[in-house]
Amino acid sequence: MIAMDILVGYILQIGVILCAIFLVAGLLWSWLVTGSPGLHYSLTGSNLFQFWLSDIRQLRAGHLQPELLVNIGIALLMMTPYVRVLVSTIYFAFAERNLKYTFFTGFVFAVLTYSLFLR
Amino acid sequence: MSGMGGGVVLIPLLTFLGMPIKKAIAISIVSVIATSSGSASAYVRDHLTNLKVGMFLEMFTIVGALIGASVTVALPQRWLFLAFGLVLMASWAVLLVKQKERWSPVAEQDAFSHWLELEGSYPDQALGQTIDYKATHAAAGASLMLGAGFIAGLLGIGAGALKVLIHDLVMHLPPKVSTTTSNLIIGVTALAGTSIFLANGLIDPGLAAPVILGVLVGSFLGTRLLVRLHNQAVRRFFLIVLAVLGLEMIWRGLWGGL
Repeated sequence: MIAMDILVGYILQIGVILCAIFLVAGLLWSWLVTGSPGLHYSLTGSNLFQFWLSDIRQLRAGHLQPELLVNIGIALLMMTPYVRVLVSTIYFAFAERNLKYTFFTGFVFAVLTYSLFLR
Repeated sequence: MSGMGGGVVLIPLLTFLGMPIKKAIAISIVSVIATSSGSASAYVRDHLTNLKVGMFLEMFTIVGALIGASVTVALPQRWLFLAFGLVLMASWAVLLVKQKERWSPVAEQDAFSHWLELEGSYPDQALGQTIDYKATHAAAGASLMLGAGFIAGLLGIGAGALKVLIHDLVMHLPPKVSTTTSNLIIGVTALAGTSIFLANGLIDPGLAAPVILGVLVGSFLGTRLLVRLHNQAVRRFFLIVLAVLGLEMIWRGLWGGL
């Protein structure tokens, strides 16, 4: 389990650091441009995957703006525990070959996937 | 911070500043993912967290959180103020009666907990040795975790204090393992709740961004400050904060002009 401790630990840390970088960049940028660090916009109901798709579409269209950086930061934050669960499932299945825990983490992954696809 | 997350303070504060309570709950639960993941990353690598206990119990907390968050979306604001106030007062009562109990390992594990491989060891720096432990009553712990997940999703908080209580009293985990494992579970539980609020358009990214950064900095400074403060001083401080916020939320739920 020691290898898994380290793996899970780094996934969580990298996710949070990336999220913070994008949020700081977005807020700083908006502050420099508008003179206030506050961003005023809202998301209409969407799910994480639509959220990513619209972020990527905007990136490809070259619409880089503070709101996009903030959106990516929040999407990265939501991905962090999700990826942690996915990697745990893979680890239990292939490294530990532990059927019970492959099933448990797989169940958590399936429920999260379902809920993140909700609209 | 001391098993007490930012959510219990953050939500009353945001509503006090005029934010509708559902939006405040949604923003709080996103920020809970950040604080949980941030601190869990360090604990997991220090081998304090029991991943198997965490991943078994997560199955129950996420289902609870999905139900809780769906209820929040449907419920009138007034009820949420009342529920929040009652949870704060319950935490206050637990903190008041909780004594620093000595943990002692259990010799016998029930068959189900044994089948789930809920045991482990962790390095205790204060004692300078590795402590072996076994968890018990997995079935009771799991069903209570469904309730803890429900409250987390309903009110947008980590409900860490409640999870720690279940780990300590029902499953007999050592205190350090219990707090750090609860921390790991909080992250996915909050994600499940977040997905419901996102789908309902309750997450305001422009407001969530500064709050997330704020709680990250706050939890970083908080843990450093906490090391220097006397335990009794922290406890007394939280007793006052919980009582004031709890009464205030109940007051607003009953008579506030919502």
